Amino acid sequence: MIGSGKILRRRGVVLGLRYVAAILLTIFFVFPVYWLFTISFKTPDEIFAFPPAWYPKSIQFNNYAVLFKDGDAETVWNSLVLSAASTVIAMFFGTMAAYSLVRFKTGGENLAVWIISQRMMPPIAIVFPVFLLYVYFGWVDTYHGLIILYTAFSLPYVIWMMRGYLEDIPLELEESALVDGCTRWQVLWKVVFPMARTGLFATAVFTFIFAWNDFLFAFVLTRTEVVTYTVQVTHYFGGQSNFWAKIAAMSVLGTVPVFITVAMLQRYLVRGISMGAVKG
Amino acid sequence: MADLRITGLHKRYGGVHAVRGIDLEIPAGEFTVLVGPSGCGKSTLLRTIAGLEETDAGTIQIAGQTVNHVRPRDRDIAMVFQNYALYPYMNVYENIAFGLRARKTAADEIDKRVKRAADMLGIGQLLDRLPRQLSGGQRQRVAIGRAIVRNARLFLFDEPLSNLDAQLRDEMRGEIKRLHREIGKTMIYVTHDQIEAMTLADRIVLLKDGMIEQVGTPLDLFERPATRFVAGFLGSPQMNFIPGELAGGVAQLAVRLGDGKALPLPEARRGALTAAVGRPLVLGIRPEHISRAVAAAPRAGQVRIPVAVDLIQPTGSRTYISVPLGGIAATAEVEPHDVNRVGESIEIDIDMNKAILIDPETDKVI
Amino acid sequence: MSSASTITPIDQATPVPGRAPDRYFKHQLIAPAIFLLLLIGLFPLIYSLIVSFQRITMLEEDYSFAGLANYAQLFRDTRLWQSLLHTAIITAIALPIELVAGLLMAQLFLERLPGRQIFVSLLVLPTVISPIVAGATWRLLFDNRYGPINQILGWIAGEPVAALWTVNPNLVYPAIILCEIWQWTPFMFLILLAALSNVDRSLTEAAEIDGAGYWRIFGRIVLPAIWPVMAIAILIRSLDLVRIFDIIWALTAGGPGTMTETISIYTYTQGFNQFETSYTAAMAFLVIALLTVIVTWAIRRMGLAK
Repeated sequence: MIGSGKILRRRGVVLGLRYVAAILLTIFFVFPVYWLFTISFKTPDEIFAFPPAWYPKSIQFNNYAVLFKDGDAETVWNSLVLSAASTVIAMFFGTMAAYSLVRFKTGGENLAVWIISQRMMPPIAIVFPVFLLYVYFGWVDTYHGLIILYTAFSLPYVIWMMRGYLEDIPLELEESALVDGCTRWQVLWKVVFPMARTGLFATAVFTFIFAWNDFLFAFVLTRTEVVTYTVQVTHYFGGQSNFWAKIAAMSVLGTVPVFITVAMLQRYLVRGISMGAVKG
Repeated sequence: MADLRITGLHKRYGGVHAVRGIDLEIPAGEFTVLVGPSGCGKSTLLRTIAGLEETDAGTIQIAGQTVNHVRPRDRDIAMVFQNYALYPYMNVYENIAFGLRARKTAADEIDKRVKRAADMLGIGQLLDRLPRQLSGGQRQRVAIGRAIVRNARLFLFDEPLSNLDAQLRDEMRGEIKRLHREIGKTMIYVTHDQIEAMTLADRIVLLKDGMIEQVGTPLDLFERPATRFVAGFLGSPQMNFIPGELAGGVAQLAVRLGDGKALPLPEARRGALTAAVGRPLVLGIRPEHISRAVAAAPRAGQVRIPVAVDLIQPTGSRTYISVPLGGIAATAEVEPHDVNRVGESIEIDIDMNKAILIDPETDKVI
Repeated sequence: MSSASTITPIDQATPVPGRAPDRYFKHQLIAPAIFLLLLIGLFPLIYSLIVSFQRITMLEEDYSFAGLANYAQLFRDTRLWQSLLHTAIITAIALPIELVAGLLMAQLFLERLPGRQIFVSLLVLPTVISPIVAGATWRLLFDNRYGPINQILGWIAGEPVAALWTVNPNLVYPAIILCEIWQWTPFMFLILLAALSNVDRSLTEAAEIDGAGYWRIFGRIVLPAIWPVMAIAILIRSLDLVRIFDIIWALTAGGPGTMTETISIYTYTQGFNQFETSYTAAMAFLVIALLTVIVTWAIRRMGLAK
């Protein structure tokens, strides 16, 4: 009945192994990003050196300069405008809708299920009919066209996430405001929104990132007027010689903002990407 | 059934020295209660005995075998947790049988033992329920059932009754005591509740700040506390502590209180004190040893003084009154109808035979 | 659920003194969102349904009613079935790998580890970059001559390796799957790490004292506890895998030939290269209909809407 007295493995050995594994994993997951960054800093000779150079001899921003000179960097601005506008609108309408669902159970379970199922629709299947519609309205290759689409596509996510955050606000606060003489709208503005501001912020960031990183919608619904950085990157794909420097530089331009934002929002990361499944 | 021996145990958490040099011997078959205020290290001590925490120094021996580096599952112990720790996705039967299944016990043996344990605890009809369908008391019984079914040599209880309401707690206390009588294993029980400690223990280990304050039977600790802390911890309402000094001479020693009153000490107490006349003391006397003067004269060892009643708190069977004594509000215990009016002047008898004297610098009982 | 949602909604319970209750407040709140969702979700669907019954192709705009001709053709279309097969292959291989790898990584980082925060922030990077950028990055990595992967393989083999990852039929699937799991294993890892951290410590301690070994504890205590979260993660990932587009577009664009053409890529090709408008409309409609049924069933089954 009594064990043979197995000795607990010395903590040090296990810890050491864990560190080794952690470092190997980190190398695997970070190396490609590192590679991308280094290519963006390399000169053409370095890029097309064989065997490849593992780090650039010096960090030169020539590749970036070219992008700005050619006006390609504008696409980052386009992405910004589209993502920001759609995020703001989606946050606004979505939070209101979430509030309606949480406090008043509007539409019951069926409405909630329908809204969430919209999030799970495959973009390609959605975008084709939308494309047809846009052709009809003349909204292809326009800012408002894409903004409307991003907004609509973000709404289910916003509603879903804000539902979770709004549920955590005690009802008593709102009731107290009502008794104090506020209208419903005032309660929403003065009590609910401020209380939910961290949730609002976190959800807004992830909504922004989803739109920012999108490729397919932008690819299908724009041509030459409104180009996002994601589409621009694919313009550099060629048959044999891709414009590697441009691919890398453009990608980095589009990626760094996301890195910074996510680094600042570590705390909400898990909740944000798991659609609230875990309150990380 | 096994005995437990702990020598020189230390445990640190980061900057906190939770257990500081504990030496303890627990004979086999005894029910030992580790009790103390929160933060005294009792739970930590229990968890190191269980093997859930590693020790920084010292040894733990169960039945003569040093188990410091033995995994919990190989120490042959059973444990009942404060929040029951029932496996939420298994029914009661499976919960209780879990440990036996893990040790590959035969199915019919498992069945026999589970049913026996369940009957012993009165939960035989709940075997196919899930934990969330049970009340707090029922869950507690399942947790205990899980522990006893394995026939381990040592039983650990980590504040098992804290989450129950008062009435249930009283009931379960009796059950646990009865359980110990029936199965007779060595049991170590952690609680912060001194009533649980007093009623359940064969011996109490009172802990403070990671060290043992005193070890002994409940009545030992109650009647002969070693320090002020022990004296104040056990007994409800708490013992009165009245500052004063030693007065008198060769013929008679007394405790002079702050307000000038002198309380003579009985003969038997005088022995070691004579040399220290004038030294400051704290007089410790329990409320039940201060009573309303009834007889014509105080009995031997008792001192009679007049006081005014400040506060009256009836509890039904006893009434506690607050009287100013030696500058503090002392509590005295009287019969329910003895005192009726606040402000009433009465006489009280203080039984100096039962008083203790504490050295204010060391807090030890003299 | 929080207690708030079981309380009678305010406007039905107690009228606010001095103000008429806003009967339509809740509808006003949700109207804009519903409008937009219908605009993008429902109307195009109906429009596309109509189109799918017509005969609009690259060559001619024939609005005549074609009945179910387009749908019938869907069933006969071997290329469609192949694309579904390709999609299934990728999903069936990538999902388990991401799940198991994510679980192992979560276990690795579960116990105290100094500097864990730094590791986790770095490990998250692949998941937050755009999938098209991820695909582009791996395209650079996989390059035959100038990519580091062949370089490393060359070191191991002892001689230069010429592996055409994005062209060689034997290598394209590994390439795509590798890029995919590189990007999304951290997603699983993060979620599972959080879920594992939330498992009640006293349950595993009790099991350990009871004598259970590592695997028994994991299988009977930990796994059931994290299952709800794991299920959602699996649902999200499998839907994303079925819709996979960006990564493949960047690496192979469906090639060589149609070897790596998944359903999304095929739909795109039909609609925007071939301009088989009606046919694509039918395809899109079918896919949506199918997924709506599956997703609705899954959502209800998991009680997500509550």
